[in-house]
Amino acid sequence: MADVVVDDLERVFRVPVREAGLGAAVRSLYRREHREVRAVEGLSFRIEPGEVVGFLGPNGAGKTTTLKMLSGLLHPSAGSARVLGHEPWRREREFLSRMTLVMGNRNQLQWDLPVVDSFEMNRAIFRIPRAHFEAARDELVDLLEIGDLVTKPVRNLSLGERMKAEIVGALLHRPQVMFLDEPTIGLDVTMQKRIRTFLGEYNRRSGASVMLTSHYMADVLALCERVIVIHHGRILYDGALSGLADRVAASKTITVRLADAHAALDGYGRVLARDGGRVTIEVPRTDASRVAARLLNEHEVSDLTIEDPPLEDVIERVFSDGDAAAASAAVRSGSPGSAG
Amino acid sequence: MGREPGIVRTYLRVGTLFELQYRVNFFLQLVQSLVALGTAVAVIALVFSYTDDLAGWSPYELLVIVGVHVLLGGVIRAFIQPSMQRLMEDIREGTFDHVLVKPADAQLLASVQQFSIWQLVDVVVGAAVIAVAVANLDTGLGPLDAGAFALTLVLGAVTIYCFWLLITVGAFWIVRMEFVAELFNGLYQAGRWPVTIYPAWLQIGFTVLIPLAFAITVPAEALTGRLGGTMVLAALGFTAAIVAVTRWAWRRGLRRYDGASA
Repeated sequence: MADVVVDDLERVFRVPVREAGLGAAVRSLYRREHREVRAVEGLSFRIEPGEVVGFLGPNGAGKTTTLKMLSGLLHPSAGSARVLGHEPWRREREFLSRMTLVMGNRNQLQWDLPVVDSFEMNRAIFRIPRAHFEAARDELVDLLEIGDLVTKPVRNLSLGERMKAEIVGALLHRPQVMFLDEPTIGLDVTMQKRIRTFLGEYNRRSGASVMLTSHYMADVLALCERVIVIHHGRILYDGALSGLADRVAASKTITVRLADAHAALDGYGRVLARDGGRVTIEVPRTDASRVAARLLNEHEVSDLTIEDPPLEDVIERVFSDGDAAAASAAVRSGSPGSAG
Repeated sequence: MGREPGIVRTYLRVGTLFELQYRVNFFLQLVQSLVALGTAVAVIALVFSYTDDLAGWSPYELLVIVGVHVLLGGVIRAFIQPSMQRLMEDIREGTFDHVLVKPADAQLLASVQQFSIWQLVDVVVGAAVIAVAVANLDTGLGPLDAGAFALTLVLGAVTIYCFWLLITVGAFWIVRMEFVAELFNGLYQAGRWPVTIYPAWLQIGFTVLIPLAFAITVPAEALTGRLGGTMVLAALGFTAAIVAVTRWAWRRGLRRYDGASA
């Protein structure tokens, strides 16, 4: 059975609106106007045990709202979701004991207390038997190399150290499902890599399923075989990470090394870069092989590669509003549906 | 429900160990308590320099009230207020999420998350004042009175906890509630006097709206031979009612927080 099953999930927020100015402020005192904001609209997907799924989207796409619904913090406005067989928002203890939520921008350890004391509190709350607790704590502390930090108060830790301690605290009860909302936000590259490696290792060891949002594509590339891309609360793409460019990117790049550094290259595509004989050209995806053949025919070529554009660029393109509709149409015509 | 005592014990232990690091707070608190007590006693002495009897209360009987007031104030500032203020902050900043995703009763977790043990100095000082005052009373103190005192004091503490939580729950609707602590501490000062000295409308206010009567005057009545069985029952009934209302308001607040009502 899938760990996470989501069907037509929807969340509408009612937010007060008022125009600028004193008059509007006074009017809003007695007649408040509201506007409905659809944060999440008709999401459906499943996550199988042990899967690591990247949940991607620009700010305001509905990622955090979805994670909050799946971890039981928010009621949906419509649709259904089951995590480990439970309706999350009922917040049954059996459910809460088996999942964890880590939010990179929020602290759940006690600010003034040494890290070990917060761990101890979690032991009491999750009722982890002493031996299991110590084994889990020692293993996690060891994996994240924070042995010398745990006796310090949280407020004395650097951002990266704090995040590592947060993650240990969130995993002491060995959750089967992990919701990670920007776990590497604000960290330097080395620390991001450390946490990423750890999460991969933890997933392999524990078989826990992971749903991860991150603005750092490196996190997604390193951890997720599958991604769900959402925009304006709707799923744009759900499938293998490797297939994302095929579906969404409208172009490919051809890099050629030409014997003649000054060869005329009009009519092949958009020249992105030219460095002596080494030229990078962007061409429509469907024309890539034809253009490559032409280049090989018409010039003396010592080397040629055809590549998808970098994932960062693909994602950026999906999220830029102008292309979103087109991307959405492209994806829908490919009917990715929900994987799994 | 079996895990709750374990949670409270762990939070208490960890909180106590933490506060023990700051021993200078103990001395600051002691000085503060003694100054406050000195002021209270001076005011009583001043009042009784003009009269022998205040609404039927003698000087030592009033000292009992001062003692209960100090003692309960210590309990409030040690166990109730810190967690409530933390809860308001958590709701405002969204960190309350972390309380909700824990597999334990959220009200309990929110209510025990912070202690201020040095405030217990007031509990000791209050108890000492009560002891001195009772020793100087003409009426003797039987075991039944002592039992009634202990019972009504616990009920009073529960009542004040519920009152605080009821107000704090307001943060689910009105985000900024920090002024409440000041407001409460201001009103709490009124509890230094028996509620019977106030006009009728204020007496009702101090009984039902801000339950100072049940929290302070009633336990003091137990020690001064004024408390009847009916009042004990009334205190029991009132506490049960406010506990139920608080639980109900808490659930409503949670529903608002997670948007179930939206």
